[in-house]
Formats: sequence, structure tokens, C-alpha cells
Amino acid sequence: MEYLLETDNITKVYGSITAVDHVSIKLKQGEIYGLIGRNAAGKTTLLKMLAGLAHPTEGSFRIFGESEKKTAHMRDRIGVLIESPGLLLNLSAFENMKVKALMLGMNDDSFLNELLCEVGLEGVGKLPVKRFSMGMKQRLGIALSLVGHPDLLLLDEPINGLDPQGIVEIRDLILRLNSERNITILISSHILEELSKIATRYGIIHNGQLIDEFTHQELLQRCSERIEIRPSDATAAVTIIEKMGFKDYKVLDNSLIQIFERLDESGEIVLELAKNNIKTLGISVKNEALEDYYLSITGGARQR
Amino acid sequence: MINLIKMNLYRMSRAVSTWVMAIVIAVFGFMQFGSLKMFLDDPFNLFDGSGSSSLGFKTLDGVQSVSTFLQNSNILLILAIFVVLFVNAEHKAGFDKNIIGITKNRWKQTLARWISAVIGMTCLILIGYAIMLGLCALFIDNFAFGAVAPMLKSLGLMYLGAVAFSAIFFFFTTLFNSSVGGVVASLIISLGILNLIEMLLDMLVKKFISNPKVLPTDIFYDSVYFSFNHESAGAKAIMIFVLISVAYIVLTVGGSMILQQRRDVK
Repeated sequence: MEYLLETDNITKVYGSITAVDHVSIKLKQGEIYGLIGRNAAGKTTLLKMLAGLAHPTEGSFRIFGESEKKTAHMRDRIGVLIESPGLLLNLSAFENMKVKALMLGMNDDSFLNELLCEVGLEGVGKLPVKRFSMGMKQRLGIALSLVGHPDLLLLDEPINGLDPQGIVEIRDLILRLNSERNITILISSHILEELSKIATRYGIIHNGQLIDEFTHQELLQRCSERIEIRPSDATAAVTIIEKMGFKDYKVLDNSLIQIFERLDESGEIVLELAKNNIKTLGISVKNEALEDYYLSITGGARQR
Repeated sequence: MINLIKMNLYRMSRAVSTWVMAIVIAVFGFMQFGSLKMFLDDPFNLFDGSGSSSLGFKTLDGVQSVSTFLQNSNILLILAIFVVLFVNAEHKAGFDKNIIGITKNRWKQTLARWISAVIGMTCLILIGYAIMLGLCALFIDNFAFGAVAPMLKSLGLMYLGAVAFSAIFFFFTTLFNSSVGGVVASLIISLGILNLIEMLLDMLVKKFISNPKVLPTDIFYDSVYFSFNHESAGAKAIMIFVLISVAYIVLTVGGSMILQQRRDVK
């Protein structure tokens, strides 16, 4: 099994609105995949389909190497926290978890107590969940998703509404679950800055479409300082740049060249291009913040 | 399925609403006893000289106690509220998001929820009925339990009817994904509003069709239930009552299962 989760052109249409539009993503075992998008971009709908809460209109997905239709007996291997944590407010944290455990045929109460310790809720006793803070509810939501020993966690905006301290706690918890239990995690957020601290790979979803995918390294590279040149002939310019000894560069849209090394040599590049009759239509040294980078991708895209 | 039922019963046992409804039905049992005591023993001589009580009987036996307790719109309202609150609790809290995706066949969860609701409802009926019957046996002079078999027959039939009603309330709660659907349906039935609509429909049918074979009042379950004479019904009448009750259960629970299977969780 190469991929733990694969979606193939998965689509969800509500009336005249296409909430998720032919999205194909692949997750390897042990990855933390960050799904980034604005509100109403289609993140939650995509996660709901993967969690079995919504039926895809089109497309399919494979989990644990099996088609979705054959995974009935494997669905307890997926832990889910979609939107705000769904909790029975008059029950205690333990009782909420016990409800799910009974459904899965688990009678080991000590495991539930261990999970409560894991998420830092060991001292809540019989306190009803309605008296919990937002952060405690989020942590209980994650604990609930862990009942059943899942191999895959689907977390939808788990840091929403949390204070800075709560965000750090949830981030540490997610990283710990990934490293210690080898749980593959698909986590969505509209805050790229936050996801950049935990995810190993990213997908940007906008108006229901997956418009970009990149690794953590690529993200750092894209947001790092670079020379951006727009030559009159990109193909010929690349040959010149290579002759000059540049190796760390990228060509975007067959017109824009990004160079990530020897940033003080932009003048020499223009001169060398001119010598070879290649006009430089534009040149700059850029350094984008993560959020600026995210906005540069989504900002120019089609609006619904 | 067993695990699903266990889960639902655990949730039910931990819900405040369950215990509130248990108290309500206990009070209802007590109140039914009070009204029987007043009409049968007539301690204040309210009905003296009339020759019979306003209930239509002067002595109370097991069969009549079933009518008093179960063939009563108030108890249906109590049971409806219990069923609606229990069934809708998961959805209202959003807890269903944690569990619905786990089983591929979601209809199993719906069926398990209904079976659990019936188990809870049965416990409530037993609590209320036992309180009423016990108090009647202790404090009503004209109470004679009588033969057990006819009482069990009546109890069984009316219990089946109550289960069919619970299925109807269950369906409306599932259909509207809200307590409001089930509560409105139960209020319409218990307040007699549906009965008025049925009579109106009967009149309309009779206006256009002379000697119709079937009238709306023959089809709506409240008419079937409240007009069923379990004491003297023959085999054919019992068969029809059972068939209609089972048909309502199959249609409404089956409909709820299909809805749950096809619908996305919001």
C-alpha cells in the first residue's frame, strides 16, 4: 500500500453550488497533510466525505489501500473531528468517550482514562462537558477521535477559537500523536502560518478546487528570499543562467524564473542576458511571508 | 447491532431527560390512580345517585386499567417527548459526527436507536403502569384484578399500539432532523387536532363518494388506536389492528432508516 488515503476527482455538489470540485489528493503513512483554504473553500465538505458523513456526488477515494466501498470494516481506523467537537454536554468527558467506546465494542475503561491523560484532561472527573472551556472541548474532541486506535485522523480546524496557549497545546498534541503513534493526519485550517508548524505536506483548496500542492521544504523555498526575473525568452534565459552556474532555480508558467541562490548577483544576470539579446522585462528580489504567499495563490483565483 | 444498542442505552441512562420523563410518568400513574379513585369510590359523593360512574364502569379490573393508562392521549404525549428528546439528542449535540461515519450501513444505527427508544419507552410504561396498578390495588375498594390472560392480551395490544406511535414520532424527528417535528406531531395527535382534520376529510370523501369503503379515519393511526376496543374485539378486529400497527412501524422505521442512510450529516 503506497498511499494510506487517495482521492480520485472527488466532487460534491449541493444544488447549484460545487462545494468540492474534482479534488485528488494522496497521503502517505505517517504524513501530516495540511489542507489550507478560506472559509467555504470546501475543506469541511471534503473531510466530511472522507469521514463517511457526506456522500460524494462524483469521484471516489481509497483508504488503507481499499476502495471506499470495501472499507466498511476499517472505518473505525479513522478518527474524526469535524468543525466544532460534537459532545454530549450533560455527560462527563469520560462518559462521552464511553459512548463511542461501547459502539466500537471496547470495554477497557483504563484505555479511555489513558486517552484523557494524553490530551491533558485527567483531572476533570465528573464535571459535565458544558462547563468545559473551548480548549478543553477541543482536546476532548481529539480524545474522542482517538477512541478505537485510529491510523488516520481527520481534523477540521482543530485550533479554531483557541487562545494562543490552547493553540500551542493542540499543536504539540498533534505532533506527539504523529510521532509517537505514527498516526497519519489530514488537518484543515485557514491559517497557513499555523499549519506550517506541523504539516509535512500541503494542499491549497480554493472554490472547491485543489489549486496547489507542495511539501514543507517547497513551502520554505517558495517563501524564502529569491531573485525573480521575467525575461523575453525564458527557455533561452535558463540556458544562460545554467551557464552562469546557478543550480537552485525554478521556472513558473514558462515565463517567470525564480533563483534561490547568490541573491546579490541580479545585476550580473541582467547583463549576461542582455549580452545574449534577451530582454529583462522585470527583475526583483522577493521575500514573501507565508500568509502573503497564500494570498498570492488564492487571491487571483476565480471567486465563487 | 448489539454494540449500537448498548451505546444508546448507556447514553439514555446518562441523560437527564430520561430521569425527568421517568418522574413525569410516575406522576402520571399517580394522577390516573387519583382520577380512578375519585370516579369509582366517589369519596365526595359527586356522582351519587347516577347509578354508575362517569367512566362507564363501577368496578375496575386489569383490562380496564390498561385502557385508563395506555389508551390515553396524555401518555402518548409523554412517550412522544421521551422518544423525540432521546432520538434527537445526538444530532442536536453534533455527537453523531463522531459515530455515523464508523459504520458503513448507517441504517443500522437508526434501527438500533429506535430499538433502544422502545426499550426505554417500555421501562417508562412499566413504571407508570405499575404505580397506577399498585395504588389501585391498595386503595380502590372496587378494584378486582380479574383474570390475567385478558389483561395481558389488552396490555400487549395497546403496548403494540404505543410502539407504533413511537415509530411515527421517531420518523418525524428523523425527517425534520429536529425535536420540533416529533413534538408537533405528538401535540397534533394528543390535542385532537388530527382528529378534527380526519373528520373533515371524512366529510369531504363522503360528499364526493357514496358509501366509500375506506375513510381517512380508518387509515390515520390515532383513529385506529383510540377507537380500538381491545376488551371485546374479535380475532378479525385484532388481526386488523395488529397488521395496521406493524405496517406503521415498518413504514416509519424503514423510512427513517432510508433517510439516515442517504442523507449527509450536517
